[in-house]
Amino acid sequence: MVQIPSDDDPNGTIATATSSRRSLLTVAAGALGVGLAASVLGPALVFLGHPLEHDATAGDGEFIPAGPIGQLGGSVPVKVDLFADRVDAWNRVVQVKVGSAWVLQQGGELVALSTVCPHLGCGVDFDAGANKFYCACHKSYFALDGAVESGPSPRALDRLDVEKGEKLVSIRYVRFKVGIEAKEPIA
Amino acid sequence: MSMRSFLDERIGLGSGWRAFTHRPWPGGPALRHAVFAALVFLFVQQAVLGIVLAAYYSPSASDAWASTAYLNDQVALGWFIRGLHDHGASVFVVLAVLHVAALAFAGAYRRPRELMWLAAIAVLGLALAEGFTGNPLPWDEKGFWAIQVELGIAEQTPGGGAIKRLIQGGSALGNLTVLRLFVLHVFVLPLALLGLLAFIARQRRRHGPAAAADARSHTYAPGQLMIDVLAMTVTSAIVATMTMSAHGTELFAPADPTSGFQARPEWYFLFLYKLRHYFEGSLEPIATVVIPGAAVTFLAAAPVIDALAGRIGRITVLAGLSTMLAGAGLLTAIAMADDRGDESYGKALEQANKESVRARNLAREGVDPRGGGAVYWNDPEYKVKMLYTEHCKNCHALDGTGGGEAPDLTDYASTEWLSALIRDPNDPRFFGKTKHDTMEAYGPDKLTEEQLADTVAFLESMMDTEGKMLDTDAIDRGKVLWNDELDCNNCHEIEPGKDNEGPNLYAHGTTSWVNRVIRDSGAKDLFGEHAQMPKFADKLSDAEISSLAAFVVAQRDR
Repeated sequence: MVQIPSDDDPNGTIATATSSRRSLLTVAAGALGVGLAASVLGPALVFLGHPLEHDATAGDGEFIPAGPIGQLGGSVPVKVDLFADRVDAWNRVVQVKVGSAWVLQQGGELVALSTVCPHLGCGVDFDAGANKFYCACHKSYFALDGAVESGPSPRALDRLDVEKGEKLVSIRYVRFKVGIEAKEPIA
Repeated sequence: MSMRSFLDERIGLGSGWRAFTHRPWPGGPALRHAVFAALVFLFVQQAVLGIVLAAYYSPSASDAWASTAYLNDQVALGWFIRGLHDHGASVFVVLAVLHVAALAFAGAYRRPRELMWLAAIAVLGLALAEGFTGNPLPWDEKGFWAIQVELGIAEQTPGGGAIKRLIQGGSALGNLTVLRLFVLHVFVLPLALLGLLAFIARQRRRHGPAAAADARSHTYAPGQLMIDVLAMTVTSAIVATMTMSAHGTELFAPADPTSGFQARPEWYFLFLYKLRHYFEGSLEPIATVVIPGAAVTFLAAAPVIDALAGRIGRITVLAGLSTMLAGAGLLTAIAMADDRGDESYGKALEQANKESVRARNLAREGVDPRGGGAVYWNDPEYKVKMLYTEHCKNCHALDGTGGGEAPDLTDYASTEWLSALIRDPNDPRFFGKTKHDTMEAYGPDKLTEEQLADTVAFLESMMDTEGKMLDTDAIDRGKVLWNDELDCNNCHEIEPGKDNEGPNLYAHGTTSWVNRVIRDSGAKDLFGEHAQMPKFADKLSDAEISSLAAFVVAQRDR
């Protein structure tokens, strides 16, 4: 502490004597201030961090009716949009489009491929001329069974579970993590 | 080079802090100087809380309530954060009043602190404006009706029509209203408050917080610094305690423009609310404009009054301020006492709290994007009514609306309904407008009142009779009538599975029977080939059909 001369104390000795008390008080005040800030910032951060532990959206993982059996299952892929009820934070939206899939007959079975590119999540299109799937964003090409033919995609197109009912085909819509080799659902 | 000297050299952190703590503090530490520190602290806390609340709140008329219910009831510590912000607003108003009072009693409106004094009055005004714009934001019943009434009051004042239209964003409350209140509440008013608080802080450094008789040299730290920090701590503790003891803050049911919600303003506006009661009709502007305007003018003129009238002026200023505070306090107390003694208000509040619990529970499933009021669509009772309206009402009237082509289902399968049906099945109330015309009417000439009652008793015995007092003699007589005298059994079977010309009445009027009719009324043992009702098994889910069946059967027991 700097010695502060005053009228009562021309040499500043009193100030020196009290300076340790003064700085102690200042430090105590500072500590209280930090505690005050933490008492609000702590809960505020927990509040902001809520989505780390909780999902704000729900609606994945159910079998969704995709269309009548007769209209699906040709050798040329058909894009079907899947509609389901979805919760988005405070909203519950009834019958909103949650995703889509390419559906085709492959080796005697009905196959549904997610339209989400496993590379970085763009929409995968079908090139009827080349008879291939392709992603226009980064030029990944996929064979009809979903296997990567060229481009940066780390894995084949993601297959979705298909269920054949009496009249309807249903697809379980799931989103998968992009950019990695393994097919891992987004939790 | 240490971090400290690095920062000090570049942004003057250390020297700035030293200049702050070692500035002269005339008169030495005093509690009354700490009000400003507490005010600044609470302003910062409110700003931080406001920012994090804005990470979840959605300022539109359709989203506001649902997003508030979500952040309050579903997000971790949401109730606490929102509670702190709400109770913090109340404490901020109190501190803004104390701040003005502390300056007045220290005479800190005199030269050269006149502008600081005016700024302190403006801070109080802005604190109230923050409440005015913030309270409606959840768009719940209380907020909606508060802004509705407050804008109505504004409209009565000169030029108020334009102000109302500007705040409202047109001629009605809606998306623009919520957004405009939001913009005022989170951008305009806080920036203005920040500017004023900064101005007051600079004035205090320039002139000292108040004139002091004590000429000894004091510095801000450590005495006043410690008192200031303690004042902040007490403020924080009060806000936190209020929040904990109320477990957050209230959120009423979503705004409903057709409800009869008994609107009351926030407690710090109650004195104005009460004041209006003493000036009715054309005198109302006295309460809404003249008295508040005079009070503010008087306070603003304090430096002038003091300078002109000296000692008497000072007494006048203090007496005036004391009168205002006492008057506002008294009016607030009267308003609160009135409400406590008002039984109908108490009941309405209780009802409103029940509605709030119901709506917030339903909101946990998620609210339809069409608006806060859509939360009630989650109610199973509401859902089935909507199903009925959509799929049944066009043909089957209920409670006097809809239909006309098929039997009226009001009081379906009640004693009265069955009796009237037997008397005249071809009445438009029953099958008169359908293709079913083969059943003959049993008028009084064919069936006495007593016989009719016995027949109906027999019919009722085939329904769900649990917990009902049955007249077994009447049922037996009815059975004889059914089989032998009226020959009902020629057309209506009463054993499961058998079919005949008329519908099999085994367990008719029960949910399982109605369920089958809804699924396929053309089944052989029901209405057969004459059935006109669509086959709902293909249109509705099992759950929907079950809920409709239960709804129809419930008409009997209303």
